[in-house]
Amino acid sequence: MEFSTLIQTIANSIVQGSVYSTVAVGLALGFGVMKMANFAHGEFYMLGAYVVFLLYTTLGAPFPLAVLAAFPIVAAVGMLTERLIFRPTQGNVLAGFMATAGLAFVLQVLVGQAWGVGLMRAIATPYMGALQVGGAFIGWQRLLIVPAAIAMVAALWYFLYNVKIGKALRACAQDPEVAALQGISINKVTLLAMAIAGGYAGIAGALMAPIQPVTPYMGHDIIITAFIIVIVGGMESIAGAVLAAFILGFIHTFVTTLFDGVVATMAGVALMALILIVKPEGLLGKVKA
Amino acid sequence: MVLLETKELSKYFGGLRALRDLSIEVEAGEIRGVIGPNGAGKTTLFNVISGVYKPSSGSVYFKNERVSAMSPSEIAARGAVRTFQRDAVIHDFSVLRNVAVARHLHTGQTLLKTLFGNIGRLQRQDEEKAEEILEFVGLYDLRHELAANLAHGFQRVLGIAIALATEPVLLMLDEPVAGMNPTETAHMTGVIDKLHKERGMTIMLVEHDMKTVMGICEKITVIDFGEKLAEGPPKEIKNDAKVVEAYLGAEDFVAQR
Amino acid sequence: MGMKLTGFAIVAVIACALPYMVELYQVEVLIILMFNLILAQSYRLVNTTGDWSLSHIVTMGVGAYSSALITKMLGWPFWLSLPLSGCVAGAIGFMIVFPLLRTIGFGFFIGSFALGEFVRLIWVKFHYPFGGPRGLINIPPASIGPFDISDMIVYYFFCLGIAVLSIWIMYRIDRSHIGDTFKAIHTDPTLCETVGIRVPRYRAMAFVIGAFFAGIAGALMAHHQGAIDPHSFEATLMVYLIIFVVVGGVETFWGPILGVIVMTVVFELSRPLEEWRPLIAGAILIFFLVVMPGGLEILVPKAMAILRKVSAIDRLLPKAPV
Repeated sequence: MEFSTLIQTIANSIVQGSVYSTVAVGLALGFGVMKMANFAHGEFYMLGAYVVFLLYTTLGAPFPLAVLAAFPIVAAVGMLTERLIFRPTQGNVLAGFMATAGLAFVLQVLVGQAWGVGLMRAIATPYMGALQVGGAFIGWQRLLIVPAAIAMVAALWYFLYNVKIGKALRACAQDPEVAALQGISINKVTLLAMAIAGGYAGIAGALMAPIQPVTPYMGHDIIITAFIIVIVGGMESIAGAVLAAFILGFIHTFVTTLFDGVVATMAGVALMALILIVKPEGLLGKVKA
Repeated sequence: MVLLETKELSKYFGGLRALRDLSIEVEAGEIRGVIGPNGAGKTTLFNVISGVYKPSSGSVYFKNERVSAMSPSEIAARGAVRTFQRDAVIHDFSVLRNVAVARHLHTGQTLLKTLFGNIGRLQRQDEEKAEEILEFVGLYDLRHELAANLAHGFQRVLGIAIALATEPVLLMLDEPVAGMNPTETAHMTGVIDKLHKERGMTIMLVEHDMKTVMGICEKITVIDFGEKLAEGPPKEIKNDAKVVEAYLGAEDFVAQR
Repeated sequence: MGMKLTGFAIVAVIACALPYMVELYQVEVLIILMFNLILAQSYRLVNTTGDWSLSHIVTMGVGAYSSALITKMLGWPFWLSLPLSGCVAGAIGFMIVFPLLRTIGFGFFIGSFALGEFVRLIWVKFHYPFGGPRGLINIPPASIGPFDISDMIVYYFFCLGIAVLSIWIMYRIDRSHIGDTFKAIHTDPTLCETVGIRVPRYRAMAFVIGAFFAGIAGALMAHHQGAIDPHSFEATLMVYLIIFVVVGGVETFWGPILGVIVMTVVFELSRPLEEWRPLIAGAILIFFLVVMPGGLEILVPKAMAILRKVSAIDRLLPKAPV
């Protein structure tokens, strides 16, 4: 591999890993806190992209505002999902998971009917130009995802470890019974977890809106990768999700460059299978007794 | 002939030591009681012998064959079967069906026969044998009852019937009369006694109920903190100073003296 | 007993008369119904041990690709490739389930997805022999010896026969000791091990038998469509299969059949709303999982009770005067 290609691939991998991080941490949070596996997480991502399409492209709002707006909007969808799907199926991970698969269909059709199906919305890139490093070109639009991802993960970390409700969330993840005894409302915590998960997925999609084609089905590819990341990292571990996100970012980008996208997906899926067989709790997950 | 032997059996759970260098020999045809204070390691011992746990060190021999690393189903196939303290029955099945499905090791219903043969006759065979067993343990009249609807005492007896369906050589009973009223206890004890006297079954039983243990066991092994404290016939154990000390404050034990 | 026989007789008559009572394009729907019946029933077979998988559609695809390649490239006849494809699907099913036997529940579910998807991506990646993303075309039409059975109505009856045979075999298994073993494993695997049941072996057995029949359905489909591609066996289709069994229920043997029939009717009725169909499907799935997780089959005893009441009332009414 040529040196400039290597730099390019490394740079792309870092960006890809950052994108994956923003999508995966929300999923890991939902699963860690209340054993909720959200198949519609990819559709939350898609909704975030559509928020940018509506606010930035259609209404002309500034891009950063549009991105930030994705948080509360998709967080609300997340909370609805918790209330209507996860709460009634509490305790049954598979049932909740399958129901969110149904939700994914619902959201895809609703968005498709509202704003057109199959038409790939090209959203004008707000930040043109690229950074040049060692012969590689990295568009600013893509590069800004790296600090955004760092900020998002850092904010989540701070929240979970230094804010009272955040600590309550962690307590629930570790031992829901003890947490309940300490007066923590499990329902409120679960609602909050899904709000954050949704909001984060929304921001991820919003950031990616200028970079990838915006269609009602754009969640489909990301959800598979998101689950691979969460399984590989350890289903309840945020740190594991970030680590796995970058591992997968590198694997995916390098394999695509060296072979093609299909082989890259195969590599990701094979890694997931390998972890499930050899170390089912994931890289940074805890073994369940 | 020594049927079951554990040689310096140890089991650790992380830093917790559940069994330590436990060596026991059970002769064929014996009825052996295993007692000890709560948390002494009695159920862990059963779990290791029956293959649910693997020993941390030491070994288990059954019929002179080393079974330490085998799965529970392999050990059961060799004739060593245990029952559970909890309600271990298939709740959605009838009593009869529970015992019939436990005929697994002796049923003629292989996959080939199921696909291509006439399994009606083989099914009937399994059910007839199951009915025999239910007759023996006194549950025949309840055979069409749903297992979930049975009283706790009867569910435990069903547990024994299920174990008997495998035609075991060694039966390990985990607290067979726990949570039973006097009538149920008497019934269960009667069944155990019948098994020992009429069928010559080798039986190991873990129990807290001293009356039962002292009543039917020929020899008793006392365990405390995972180690063997004492071993001998009931009379000796009752008067053993170490045993009394281990149970100090345990009313049921003191009351038996 | 008499009621059961009457019931079956009525169903048989309807099944035979149906292709003549509907439009030709709807015979197509009936043929696909046959595939789905085999698919849903075989999925339930796997579920009886408590394992839910996401790879069942892929094993159907294995059957489809196998039969297509056996007839197209090896030139072997359809009546041979059909059962062979089932066997290949069973073998691949074994390769998928074997590494997953250490997990259950969600881990098994998502692991089966990973391995199934890996197989599917092999079809996408390799143009030879699988045809890559475009798949395979010119699959020989179904024929038995000199008889071409690819005519719509003839093929319907052929598939009906295979479906009945498959379901009958699965019924025999369900009713046998092996079926009871599967159900016991679902309820209490530790107890099962204690009575000598090797739980991993039986979980694998259920999975492989299920995969075999999924493969049969796939082979039937391949020769009907004449062309197959990897997109036909995507995760999206898997969700539809899950909808069939969730709507019908899996507790009783007949639940999945009920689910397939009901959902086929729903999809047919919603044909004019074609773009909304995934939403309808998704909403139905959510509804059943959240509100009625037992599926429609739990309503059947209630319906039967009502039916009995109605017929009892009939007997109570005074006879009409002559």
